Amino acid sequence: MSLTLHERAQYAGAPLASPAPAPAWTLSVRGLGKIYGDTSEESIAGTGPEFGTAVSPNTGAIVAAWGVDLDVAPGEALGVIGESGSGKSTVLRCIAGDEPATAGEMLFTDHGGSTERLDQLSPTERRRMRISDISVVYQDPALGLTMDVSAGGNVADPLTAAGWRNFGRIRSRATELLQRTEVPIARMDHPVKAFSGGMKQRVQIAKSLANDPSLLLLDEPTTGLDASVAAGVLDLMRGLLEETNVAAIVVSHDFSVIEMLTTRVIVMQHGRVVEAGLTDQLLEDPQHPYSQQLVAAARG
Amino acid sequence: MREMDSALDLQKELPEGRVLAVRGLTKDFTMHLVDGRVAHALKGVDLEVEQGEHVALAGPSGAGKSTLLRCVYRTYLTTSGAIGLRTSTGAVVDLATMPDWDVAMLRGREIGYVSQFLRAEPRRPVIEIVARAGIARGMERGEALDAAAVALRRVGIDEALWPVHATVLSGGQKQRVNIAAGTISPPRLLLLDEPVSALDPVNRVSVLDLIAGLREQGVAVLSVFHDLEAIEMLATRVVVVEGGRVAADGDPHEVLRANHGLAVAR
Repeated sequence: MSLTLHERAQYAGAPLASPAPAPAWTLSVRGLGKIYGDTSEESIAGTGPEFGTAVSPNTGAIVAAWGVDLDVAPGEALGVIGESGSGKSTVLRCIAGDEPATAGEMLFTDHGGSTERLDQLSPTERRRMRISDISVVYQDPALGLTMDVSAGGNVADPLTAAGWRNFGRIRSRATELLQRTEVPIARMDHPVKAFSGGMKQRVQIAKSLANDPSLLLLDEPTTGLDASVAAGVLDLMRGLLEETNVAAIVVSHDFSVIEMLTTRVIVMQHGRVVEAGLTDQLLEDPQHPYSQQLVAAARG
Repeated sequence: MREMDSALDLQKELPEGRVLAVRGLTKDFTMHLVDGRVAHALKGVDLEVEQGEHVALAGPSGAGKSTLLRCVYRTYLTTSGAIGLRTSTGAVVDLATMPDWDVAMLRGREIGYVSQFLRAEPRRPVIEIVARAGIARGMERGEALDAAAVALRRVGIDEALWPVHATVLSGGQKQRVNIAAGTISPPRLLLLDEPVSALDPVNRVSVLDLIAGLREQGVAVLSVFHDLEAIEMLATRVVVVEGGRVAADGDPHEVLRANHGLAVAR
């Protein structure tokens, strides 16, 4: 099997000078694992790409992710690609704190330079972090928004949770965010359930930016939208990622999304990272059999 | 997989004034979807490019010229060997093995790459494409827009086209936008893969002049050109690649006059 770039770098002999100072990663994940069912060591053997399954033959547990390493720097977007069931959304949920990880370390550094081990925080501290520092945009807007509440109310929610009390200030911040994501202000007070799919995603994106997060997690943000609507949402995200210094992780099964938004990418299959590389390199010279299959399918 | 010769001292291979030193470069393509068949595209290439030098790669199509450029840019992963680059700060790095993140940074700042095909980013105005290259080189947005305007005028892209999405441009226009982006400020190393193949004669001459000017500013250029005329006009040295190996290396006129000249182009 081909080596990942990380492995290649380790084999490359004496380290040479780096052209830039090593980046202060916003998020550095090592050995992340998530098992549903029996979480003992016994469940790991017999799972992964070489066995063609994420289900443990020993215990029946689902090894949704195992041994996942990734880093993302401020102002950079990292792609995670793989087909459904590859574990990419599981990794995102573990980073977001929607689910506890079974194993691994997650080192997080915010805009201000303070560092925490996400995997060691209490549930309360994790919730606080989700309000102030780490935002998620879900494929299903129902997971990120309260459907009966207005667009403005949804965007105000993380602001009040972060301690904003002045109604006028909350209102003007919500207006600013909705303008930035091109939601018509005339519809600000309408419940989001009445919005189109693309408009719901724009409200979700506005909400995710409310507290100026250090890390933005995008889970299939345009999947299920009509092509022209998806294009508009993609353009919006590209603009936001370029203008801000946020670190982003973009999970998608769609190469056109990954190509447009990210500079580096990891490929997942059966819960494991099978390849990591620059996005153009992965598309032009994929190394792993599974990556080659994905690229061939996308390129036709 | 063979590993890089650990005894190789890239610092020694890159004295001051040398920008690129390729050593023992091999590139295999393993096609897992075709019974794991392996194509040996490069079989041990040694090559160097000095500051202000224009090295043109020549040789029959399929010889590995474009593959070599793409390995240097890291669009292709090197199988073995080293690709030493001396950066503008004097640091010596190996593009074959350095971490992805560092390559991404270096690309923006120091390495220009103009390919024969611009895969135009969807729904992005021409001026924006060129300005983003300037921002990657460390310019402020306003400065980058000014520089983009200069670069676009230099390659003869009419101002009326600047707000247009590049996807709707003709092949020749796309190629000129690509050149404007790659040369918005002189990079340390410029990689050119048939940059004038889609241009009409008038634009071709102006782009060739532009490339000649960059070399005079100290840019190290490594190029692949379709036609001998461009090579004769621009190259200070020609390296003939045949079957994934260097077959000749020397003065353009001598090399092209020798047997290898017959194998150049088309």
